[in-house]
Amino acid sequence: MRTLDPNSLTRHVDRLYRAAWALSGSREDAEDLVQETFARVLSRPRVLRGDDELYYLMRVLRNTFLTGLRTASRRPATVAMLEDVVAADPRPTNRPEQALEVQEIYATIAQLPDGFRLAIVAVDVLGLSYREAAQALRVREATLTTRLFRARKQVAGRLGAERPAPPRAQEDSRDRREDAHAGGVSVSEGIP
Amino acid sequence: MSEQPPPFTESEIVERIRAIDVQAPAELHERVRALVSDGAGVRGRRPAALRWGLVGVPAACALALALVLVLVTSGGTSAPTLEQAVALTLRPATMPAPAESAHDRTQLEASVDGVAFPYWEESFGWRATGARSDRLDGRAVTTVFYAGRGRRWIGYAIVAGTPAPAVSGGAIVRRRGTPYRLLREHGALVVTWLRDGRLCVLAGHGVGTATLLSLASWHGRGTIAS
Repeated sequence: MRTLDPNSLTRHVDRLYRAAWALSGSREDAEDLVQETFARVLSRPRVLRGDDELYYLMRVLRNTFLTGLRTASRRPATVAMLEDVVAADPRPTNRPEQALEVQEIYATIAQLPDGFRLAIVAVDVLGLSYREAAQALRVREATLTTRLFRARKQVAGRLGAERPAPPRAQEDSRDRREDAHAGGVSVSEGIP
Repeated sequence: MSEQPPPFTESEIVERIRAIDVQAPAELHERVRALVSDGAGVRGRRPAALRWGLVGVPAACALALALVLVLVTSGGTSAPTLEQAVALTLRPATMPAPAESAHDRTQLEASVDGVAFPYWEESFGWRATGARSDRLDGRAVTTVFYAGRGRRWIGYAIVAGTPAPAVSGGAIVRRRGTPYRLLREHGALVVTWLRDGRLCVLAGHGVGTATLLSLASWHGRGTIAS
């Protein structure tokens, strides 16, 4: 066990920002979520049982995210009547195509059910191991594995549905999908 | 037979997700560094009144009113620099937070020329923490400060009198036909717009674009309409 060094946390901002973006589906909400996560962590001294701060940050991010969802659901309907604000990103980028793809992928993840969303964010976006992710999300490892499989499957389906159709017969794609599910890719074992 | 796009495999999905290396905005890095250097908790927390009263509120005050000062005087005879404006406004709230209106639960009791400050606590969780009143270039400026979770705060200033001082620069975002101007001052996001012809300035610290615009464009039950 060791005390968390606040100065070491700053190196995780980028990864946590990506995770928050995928959870919320919005860059602006991600900024708020990350800031609130750090504010929570830094509000008092913390003792880590393991070596990895990222796992701990994911746990706090999860709690902050879920608390925000609960709070929002309790608020009056006036909140729901607000216009969705999708402001143009004032930050310039020299890779607009990549920016579009990032937005598309994270928006797709953000539409998943909470449990699936948290699983794919913890493992694929943040890069935690299955064990760390399960601990951070307070679920059994087997549960996490199942949720991760389903989350990836749903993301694949939704992103695939938006992909232009190449000159290929439907039967081929169906065969390929069945191959993948049957063992072409072993989600729980092949992609740690 | 119609053609279907091939689905992504799980490995393709994982590869695409893991290949994303988008960086957090520089402002977010700065805000996190500020949180870390503040050292609250690790070196012992300061009293809440000290944190908000001497740090948060003056900072928000500076953000909101510094811009107001510059805007108000931009077409006038005097022209204080931004630094002077910041120095003038680095003062704590001078008045307690206005209470919720007894007649309208979307408003506070405070107003400027009949333009009321919004009551956000019930709908958004933003609590009014204090207020101040200034006079700039002959115009009254009232500012109400709001605090949110995660040490976020907002200064909401309304400049009295018409016509409203001209504002230029930034980006325009329209909501329900009302133009909201987005600017960045002192590293903080600022939104300016008109309510009943009066200039409103919303400056947030640690607040994202969507949040600030949502708050600015909130119309309550029609009583906060611009």
